[in-house]
Amino acid sequence: MDRRNFLTRLGTGSIALQSLMAEGSLQKPHRVPTARSVISLFMSGGPSQVDTFDPKPELARLAGRDVPESLAKNVPKIKRAGLQNLMASYWTFRPRGDSGIPISDLFPEVAKRADDLCVIRSMTHRNPVHGPGECVALTGAASGNRPSLGAWALYGLGSETQNLPAFIAMNLHNNGMQHPQAAGWGTAFLPSSLQGTVVDPAKGVRHITLPRGTTLERRRRELSTITLLNDDFSRRTGRDSELEARIRAYEIAYRMMKAAPELFDIKSETKQTLNQYGMEKSAAKSVAHACLLARRMVERGVRFVQIRVGGWDAHGNIHGNHTNMAARTDQPVAALLEDLQRHGLLDSTLVVWGGEFGRTPTMEGRGKGRDHSPSAYSVWLAGGGIRGGQVIGQTDPIGYTVIDRPVKPLDLHATILHALGIDSDELVYNHHGLKETPLGVTGGSAVTEAFG
Amino acid sequence: MTITSGFRPCGLPRIMKSMKSRVCHLVVIFFGLLLPRAFADDGLLTQPWKLNGLASPKFQIQGTASRNNPLRQALKVPFSGDELFVRYRIRYDLETIDLPEEKNGEFFVLWLDQVEGNDSSTHSGNIPNVGLHVSGNENRFMVRYASSNQQFGPPLVGDREFVVVARLWKSQSGKSQPFDQLNLWIDPKANSKSEPAASVSHSKSINQVRWIGFSTGVKTEIDDSIDVWDIKLATTWEAILDLPPQSTAPTQPIVKRTIDFAKHVYPILKARCFECHQGKDAKEGVRLDVWDEVLNRTAPRDASKSKLYQLVLDGEMPPGGESLKSEEVATLRAWIDEGLEWDQKLLPTPIPKTTHWAFQPIRRPEVPSVENAEWVRTPIDAFIARQHRKHGLTPAKPANTETLARRMSLDLLGLPPNSSAAPGDVERLLDHPAYGERWGRHWLDVARWAESNGHQHNRHRAYAWMYRDWVVDAFNGDKPFDQFIREQLAGDELNPYSDANIIATGFLAAARYSGNELDKQIQRNDILVDIVNTTASAFLGLTFECAQCHTHKFDPISIRDYYGLQAFFAKGQPGNVVLGKDAKAKSLVDRRWEIFDTVHARLVTIKRRQGIANPIVIPTAVIGGMRSKERAEFRNLDEQIKKVAQAWAFYSPSSSAKPLTIAPHDMRFPLPQDPRILEAQKTALLIRGDVKSPGPNVAPAWPIVFGPTPSEIDKPRTALAKWMTSLTNPLVARVWVNRIWQWHFGRGLVETSSDFGLQGTQPSHPELLDYLASELMTNKWSTKHIHRLILNSSTYQQSYEFNQANADIDPDNKYLWRWKPRRLEAEAIRDCMLAVSGLLDATRGGPSVELKSKRRGIYLRQRRDNLPHQQMLFDGASGNVSCTRRRVSTTALQQLWQLNSLFAQEVAEAMAKRVKSAEHAARLAFGRVPTKKELAHLNQHAEKHGLASICLGLLNSSEFVYIP
Repeated sequence: MDRRNFLTRLGTGSIALQSLMAEGSLQKPHRVPTARSVISLFMSGGPSQVDTFDPKPELARLAGRDVPESLAKNVPKIKRAGLQNLMASYWTFRPRGDSGIPISDLFPEVAKRADDLCVIRSMTHRNPVHGPGECVALTGAASGNRPSLGAWALYGLGSETQNLPAFIAMNLHNNGMQHPQAAGWGTAFLPSSLQGTVVDPAKGVRHITLPRGTTLERRRRELSTITLLNDDFSRRTGRDSELEARIRAYEIAYRMMKAAPELFDIKSETKQTLNQYGMEKSAAKSVAHACLLARRMVERGVRFVQIRVGGWDAHGNIHGNHTNMAARTDQPVAALLEDLQRHGLLDSTLVVWGGEFGRTPTMEGRGKGRDHSPSAYSVWLAGGGIRGGQVIGQTDPIGYTVIDRPVKPLDLHATILHALGIDSDELVYNHHGLKETPLGVTGGSAVTEAFG
Repeated sequence: MTITSGFRPCGLPRIMKSMKSRVCHLVVIFFGLLLPRAFADDGLLTQPWKLNGLASPKFQIQGTASRNNPLRQALKVPFSGDELFVRYRIRYDLETIDLPEEKNGEFFVLWLDQVEGNDSSTHSGNIPNVGLHVSGNENRFMVRYASSNQQFGPPLVGDREFVVVARLWKSQSGKSQPFDQLNLWIDPKANSKSEPAASVSHSKSINQVRWIGFSTGVKTEIDDSIDVWDIKLATTWEAILDLPPQSTAPTQPIVKRTIDFAKHVYPILKARCFECHQGKDAKEGVRLDVWDEVLNRTAPRDASKSKLYQLVLDGEMPPGGESLKSEEVATLRAWIDEGLEWDQKLLPTPIPKTTHWAFQPIRRPEVPSVENAEWVRTPIDAFIARQHRKHGLTPAKPANTETLARRMSLDLLGLPPNSSAAPGDVERLLDHPAYGERWGRHWLDVARWAESNGHQHNRHRAYAWMYRDWVVDAFNGDKPFDQFIREQLAGDELNPYSDANIIATGFLAAARYSGNELDKQIQRNDILVDIVNTTASAFLGLTFECAQCHTHKFDPISIRDYYGLQAFFAKGQPGNVVLGKDAKAKSLVDRRWEIFDTVHARLVTIKRRQGIANPIVIPTAVIGGMRSKERAEFRNLDEQIKKVAQAWAFYSPSSSAKPLTIAPHDMRFPLPQDPRILEAQKTALLIRGDVKSPGPNVAPAWPIVFGPTPSEIDKPRTALAKWMTSLTNPLVARVWVNRIWQWHFGRGLVETSSDFGLQGTQPSHPELLDYLASELMTNKWSTKHIHRLILNSSTYQQSYEFNQANADIDPDNKYLWRWKPRRLEAEAIRDCMLAVSGLLDATRGGPSVELKSKRRGIYLRQRRDNLPHQQMLFDGASGNVSCTRRRVSTTALQQLWQLNSLFAQEVAEAMAKRVKSAEHAARLAFGRVPTKKELAHLNQHAEKHGLASICLGLLNSSEFVYIP
């Protein structure tokens, strides 16, 4: 086979290509999907619910006092759950949009999109430590031994693009934060081809460009040689699917080398768009860049995008920390919703915002911070069939525990998969004879009232 | 002057000698520091001491040669509860001790009283005393109510620190009852509560304690020098020994029992439930006569969440007829709420019977005689040939020598064959040190080995590499597999002690360990769960993890079995164990902790003074809070300790062959260091796997389905290893030979190589599996013996030639009618690229290296969550859980790496410099002469773009990365 032959294959091999990356285990979704793609805006460190989406006027009245016994008795006896010295929020909550759902002044831009948001105030789990907490939030298990939600989505549905990785993760942990838990884009017992591809927004996919000194002509020749050798080996050994997949993978790699740089090249975006995301502001720039790329990714058929913004761990000074974090995220996140809508993508893209847990309504130590608290925290969903402008669940008068409609991380996963048309209990992977499903033995159920 | 925070047997500082002065008897500096430490813990004492001029707060006490009451303090609130513990430390200056035989002796006591007394009046009659007195020819520790009512403990030794603990208690509970019982311990261990050194009783004692203090007597002279410090009162044994309650075994909530199972519950179950729900044929499989099964249907201590309770409450059960009476329902409710007590004698847990193949004894089968006799080169072939015949399969013809040489070299060494080697020389390959590097890596997958703690902080384990080298050496030396197990599970327990055995416990220590976990119960349990799951999977081929929360749905493994297995490991933990003769190392480590604890205590005190509750002082803050002199010494000690030989290993002080020193490791909130905390560990069955819901305690035991565990076990993990490696264990040898088979052929005879349970796959050749297991055991558990049987077989030496007729019958090649090529693992792909380009640095062993190194992949640093990129791309092992078999998944990102990475470029260019021609390059890459067609194409390619370009192509070819 010569060079022309390889290029010919590239032109016509689309059917063969399908089977490598495009196909998931499901012939068709279990139900009509309301979303095609997911953008997960993961706020590592734990944003405080009582300062963002869960107003608690009682805190102002009780400030400085201990958690009243009637509420304290419901607070799980876990480490870090301090019961002394309640602290009022620094931010004022106001009703927003037509729906009037309350959002604090911390997020003035996101507040303008209130009618898109379905806020779940009753998220809850039991793990107050960042590492296991992240694993619970992103995989459902504190040990990090289970596949990430993104890997399950890919396992079920495959990709819509043959030219780009179907699951892309961007880690914005540039404030000296702990390294993000890799389980969040990992596959555990699922094949590693389903893992999230970690990219640096500024650099794009690793190894995507031709090495220095290699011309396009030389590369085509190399691919021809490889194809010749691989075809021959595959024929000699009985054409098994693994070897055939390997041949196709070279074709996809070649396409990806063209498509991926285009994705990351944001020069084609207008100045107005860049400014809308906040690219010109030093605080917002990195999150703005990632959010803009996220829109470009789903536009090009990427199934699952995960943006992890570290730095919410406000132990010492909630006011300073959350003010800084809002400056990093508020405008880019609001712009993402706006921009998705403008491109007609919001209806098919589910955007999920939230951290691994919330924070205590009490003050930590003698600083002005709040400690970790997984007993109750807020997340929001938007787009992708979600009915915006609603609040689900309720916490106690100080926002410490859930008193109505508890939602566990696996329930949230079931909800996200539900939007993608997947019934979590029906998506089965045979793991050494054990039938594994996304929710495992713990189980969960979708928060269906979030939808339309 | 130092005050410690940790109650550590070795590290507690003495009162500084230089401060000893006969003139200055009172030194009140640091008084404020001592108080919170010594007295505030239980809020019992908060008043300052009253000092009479003959005492100091480091409490250096001299006598007056008459009755004296130098030091005393009131309790904040008078104590008239049932039980009070007191402790202090004492050191008696050797030079000033008088011996009774010289007609003199010593007297010194702590008293507990209702009244204060004054400086010169002591507290004698009826008052509990804890201290020293003369017994025969010795000064001994004693407890007494009066000189006529005293009991003695061990003798006093000068210049040595003693911890004195006493328990004053009431045999009859009540405010006005007397403290009639007094026990004494000297240097107690966590588990010696039931073994006091002396005890006295006296019915006319006080019923309330308001004051405590020390007295000297006529035998205590002015030149005596007694140091007393670290005085503490508490109401529990754990508190008095500073055993953090959270570090001990989970405490079971005290419930006031109203229900007696046999009397109240059993009759209801018997009359109303057992008709259907008893015995093997219980309706719908629901048995209510077995505790483990009842547990699966209830939430102990919470009847409202219990299915069993809901069913009777709603009247659904019992079906038809009369519902339970309301008082019967109330009884069941109370029974569940009180923790589901059971009478194992009345209703014992039955020993499960199973006919599942893997639990049956290994029987050595006859080697079958087959028609195709000339094909049989080793007995393996006879078993394989029989299945060929049965299924109508024709074996492929033998592979040519080039292919075979390449196959064996890649399979055994993970490197392409050396052109000078004779093809198929099995012995040379088995003796090659690269063999251990490749097969050791297989085992490291199973052992979920990595070099960081995992979880959030994921700090580096600088000495974990010792275990990696131990594994490599074990394979190279063909360490018998039974010994291999024994050393990994119980290396610290084995006699005689050896460093190598300690290093072997790196298998257990490879567990992940969360350094940010403040809850010590959760932290410890997570490690134990990791160890149990890995041990069960690695050696027994059982998926134990299900039973952590509930009795296994498929295998005869109950939740009780799970925690029985956990109990073998409960008294040990991972750490950097100092190797070799460690006399110097111990003093370095002790001194380091002494400084650390001193500063820690100081910082805690400061925080407490500021009114900060529950201070958490993290190591970096402690180092930051050191005075410059302290920090300099501390840093210096750390540097010295780093140079001490040590290994990341698992160590249990209570069963180890000898006491070992544990060097610090990098962790924010490590488990406590005190060996007594480990000794005091008990294993409770955790309901639903929840640390906060402990059920009954369980003793070390292997699963009951394998028969009873002896009740007296001296060295727990040695006993476990002994059971595993006994010739009657049905699983261990089968599981191991199956793994060997899998690593040779890509798939085991049992495909699910870590699940031999009911959910696992059936063996394709059950008799062959048993034959190999039996061969292993009768050949001194030699792994290399099994290799030889396999490598020399016709089965192994078949070509990969495809045969459509065979494929129609057996498309998956389950019956091995040909060799099925398979992709090399991540490490081997990289190693082979380095080898053919001549860049490979074959240095063996030692600390792990960074990615830029050209050494084999097994030596690259394995940081959990951040493994080398190429390993993650090519389905490498995660190091988090046991990886039983590498998957092969394909994604274009692999190709991007293989084409575009700097590494690929570097390798291709180095290879191009090495080769003389395209033909040479192909021979090097494939171990064969290229075909004419290939050569023509390669030459054409090379002419245009150079040799580096075709080298890159060859390295990317499937043939290069597959074992042919």
